Amino acid sequence: MALRVLLIDSDAGRAASLTLALNQAGFDDVLGADAGADLVETVRRLSPDLVVIDMALPDRDALEGVRSLSANVPRPIVMFADKDDPAFVDEAIAAGVCSYNLSGVSDREMKSIVASAVALFRRYNKIETELAAAKSALEERRVIERAKATLMAKRKITEPAAYRWLQRTAMNENRRIAQVAADVIKGEDDNVLLA
Amino acid sequence: MSDFAIRVGVLKLTDSAPVIAAHELGFFADEGLEVALSIEPSWANVADKLAYGALDAAAIVPPLAIAVSLGLRGPEQRLIVPYALSLGGNGVTLAKSLADAVRAEAVRGGSVVEALAARLRGTGAKLAVVHEYSTHNLQLRYWLATAGVEADRDIEIVVTPPARTLEALRSGRILGFCAGAPWGDIAARAGVGVSIATSEQIWRHAPEKVLGVREAWADANPEALHGLLRALYRAARFCDAPRNAAYIAALLARRAYLDVEPHAILSSLPGTLGGESPSVFHRHAATYPWRSHAYWMHGQMARWGLIDAVAREAVGAIYRPDIYAEALGPVGAAIPLSDEKPEGGHARAWSVPATPESITMESDLFCDGAVF
Repeated sequence: MALRVLLIDSDAGRAASLTLALNQAGFDDVLGADAGADLVETVRRLSPDLVVIDMALPDRDALEGVRSLSANVPRPIVMFADKDDPAFVDEAIAAGVCSYNLSGVSDREMKSIVASAVALFRRYNKIETELAAAKSALEERRVIERAKATLMAKRKITEPAAYRWLQRTAMNENRRIAQVAADVIKGEDDNVLLA
Repeated sequence: MSDFAIRVGVLKLTDSAPVIAAHELGFFADEGLEVALSIEPSWANVADKLAYGALDAAAIVPPLAIAVSLGLRGPEQRLIVPYALSLGGNGVTLAKSLADAVRAEAVRGGSVVEALAARLRGTGAKLAVVHEYSTHNLQLRYWLATAGVEADRDIEIVVTPPARTLEALRSGRILGFCAGAPWGDIAARAGVGVSIATSEQIWRHAPEKVLGVREAWADANPEALHGLLRALYRAARFCDAPRNAAYIAALLARRAYLDVEPHAILSSLPGTLGGESPSVFHRHAATYPWRSHAYWMHGQMARWGLIDAVAREAVGAIYRPDIYAEALGPVGAAIPLSDEKPEGGHARAWSVPATPESITMESDLFCDGAVF
């Protein structure tokens, strides 16, 4: 797999052994960064396909970095730690970690951990995108409803005629119906809707 | 819809307009709320879903909100009424032959209700209302009683969900019904029924739908509740403007909502002249949850054995004008200085003291001139 991996670890010894484990699992392009670095800035600069965070103890402060990463430059995130704490695992997943593992995994395990983290991330990202699209479609429908009400009240026309007017105007001006509708209600919204 | 959506139930009725408009025009969204509207087939469904927590709120008839809250039917689920949705809009529709006979007699002298009473007395005829705990049941019983016809003794009152009234009348199972718009108009258009009276002839500007909210949900989501009220208030103004009637009729007529002919809805909307008296959604303090309305409901429910007479204060406490004032005072809505008013005491338009300015009210006379 030609994935570029960014490895975040403050302990040089641990970083070296995990890099080796990643290399042996077939990931050659492994870049390192210190845990103290600005995670968002580093990800922007290096543009990795996957972020691996390695720490000795579960560290809640590290989750802050994960949260801002997920919010700003989302990437699949794999976390390794020496200790298992169910409450922390929950928090880590909520913050955007795709896969939480105990340190010291084998090559074969490493391969499947990375593969499933990437797959999970893609799936999650797809759902998020679809949700955003559904929300904006709903918003557009509401704008169109308001525009229809405005046109019907102002021009004394029927609902189908109001919709046809929006369609025709959008076609003539080569714009989307929602944009035309937004123009119709601009300034008129409170006048007509709250008359 | 996400798990966080507020689940609001409505029936297929003209006076569901403010809730449907707030949803479709994005007034809920403007308040940052995600609302999942649920179109319910009957009042029993609405009551059960509220009781079991499957709905957070509903446009509901006040007696049913009271019944669910006090556990008078099914499991008890505490509800609050922080907002009212409409005034008027109900009608009494009779099978065509009966209506013609009543009309003919009324023309020869006397009132419609007296002519109807003469035909019904002691017959055990079946008239339908939309639910036992409904404004329709209380209004129909009140009206007939003024002419000496007592429900249960002289006639039988049965329950038929609003959307099934046409079919019940056509089949002859019932001789007439009292239901909300547009169902009287639908029966008239089908040539099956004739509107003989509206709620205006029983109680002018009578309280009709209110917003019933599960108290547990309201306690956990005070901000969302305020947003819900503000969005509905905005929608109420929209629905009360005659210029918007054509749009509202087209909106409600859609298959997802009432799925009926838009003209049947148009006649029961403000500013349009039709067979049924229009609902009022915003003017005349239509959105304010008057505690005196709660007391009237309790008094009539007690009269017909639907509730314990000592429950008066418990019923009054369900109405929450304090929440109305908290949510809508800051956005400039007029808040009455008292949450009670004499019901039935005004023959003409009057003015109720409110802050920041008084509200113009309409007549609230009862058919028998009673004052509560």
